[in-house]
Amino acid sequence: MESQTGENMVALTETFAQMEARIEAAAALFERAATLFEERGSSMTGEVQKIVAQVETSREVELQRKLDAAEHEIAELRAQVEAQLEARTEPKPEAKSARRTIPASTAQFLAKQGISTLESVEAGALDAALTGLSLEQRIAVKAQLLRAGVVS
Amino acid sequence: MKLEAMAVMLPEVDGHPNRAPFTGVLTLVDEPSTKPPSGARGHRVILTRAAALTALPSLLGMAVDYAPSWDGHDARRKCGIITHADVEGSRLSVAGYLFAKDFPEVERQMRQCAPGAMGMSWELADAHVEDMRAEVWTLTRATFTGAAILLREKAAYRNTAFELGGTRCRSILPRTAPRESVHAGAPRSLGTRPRVAFPGKDRNEGKETTWNHRQAKTWSR
Repeated sequence: MESQTGENMVALTETFAQMEARIEAAAALFERAATLFEERGSSMTGEVQKIVAQVETSREVELQRKLDAAEHEIAELRAQVEAQLEARTEPKPEAKSARRTIPASTAQFLAKQGISTLESVEAGALDAALTGLSLEQRIAVKAQLLRAGVVS
Repeated sequence: MKLEAMAVMLPEVDGHPNRAPFTGVLTLVDEPSTKPPSGARGHRVILTRAAALTALPSLLGMAVDYAPSWDGHDARRKCGIITHADVEGSRLSVAGYLFAKDFPEVERQMRQCAPGAMGMSWELADAHVEDMRAEVWTLTRATFTGAAILLREKAAYRNTAFELGGTRCRSILPRTAPRESVHAGAPRSLGTRPRVAFPGKDRNEGKETTWNHRQAKTWSR
C-alpha cells in the first residue's frame, strides 16, 4: 500500500514538473509574442528600418512565409496561455458546474482510501485519507482537488 | 528639365590603378518600383522626389557593393564609392569609382556582360512610409546607406543602369569646372554640369532603348 502511494506521489511530482516546464515554455513564448506585437505596432506607424531595392529571392519569400506561420502559432499559444492563466488565477463560481477532472493517479489513490465519489468530499474524510502522506504530498493532492473544483 | 546634384571632390591622381570610374542610374523618383523591394513586405514603393533630394547628401560617400551571383547586396563586399549624385528628371544618377585593382572580378564582369545588363539597387534605412496600408508604399523620408551593382533583372526598379567609364581617369570632375562647384555637397546647375561626369551616356542611349524593349517583352510574359 505504501509503495503504491509512493509511486502515485512520484507520478504526481512528475506531472507537476512537466506542467511547470510547459508553463515556463509558454511564458517564454508569451514574451516573444509580446515583443513581436510591439514591433508590429511600431511598424504601423510608418517607419521601416531597412529596405533594399532588389527583388526578393525565393529563399526570402520562403523565410517570410515561415515567419508568418510562426507568428500565427505564437498568437495561438498566447491565447492558450492566457486562457490557462485565467483559469488558474480566477476560479469562477460556474466552475463548480464544469466538468471535474483530476489526474487518474490521484483518483486511484483516493479510491483506495475510501473516497470513491468526488461529487462531495468531506474535509474530515479527506484529511483522514491523506494522513499517510507527507505535508508536501498532502498539499499537492489538495491543490489538484482544488483545481478540479472538488473542494473549495 | 530640372537637375539637382551633389558631389564630393576627390584629389586627382593620374593613372590611379585602383580607380575605375563608373556611372549609373540608381533609381527612379516619383515612379513606382517594378517589383516589390526586399523589406517592403510585398509592396511596391515610390521614392518621392523630395525624399530623394533630401537624402542625396546621405548617398555621397556611401559604398557600392556586389554579390558574386550578381543578384543582390552584400554589404561586406564594398567594391567602390559614390562621389556624385544627380536627380535629373525622374532618374537618380550616380557616379563614382570602383576599386578595380582590389576587385578585378567586378571590372571583368562589367567589361564582359551584355550592354545594359547590369543595374543598381539602393539600400535605405529609417524610411518613412506615408501609408503602410497602401498598395504602393510612398517613401517620404529615408537615408541612403549604400548601393549595389547587380543584374538589372534582379533590381526592384527595371530602368536602372550601371556602366564603367572608358578609361581610368583621375577625377570625374573636369579641371575646367568652376571652383565653387566642386566642393563637397555643392549644388550644380545644368549649365555647368561636366559632361565627363557620365561618360558614354549619349552613346549608350541606343543600347538602353534596345535593352528596355527587350526587357519589356520579357517582363510582359
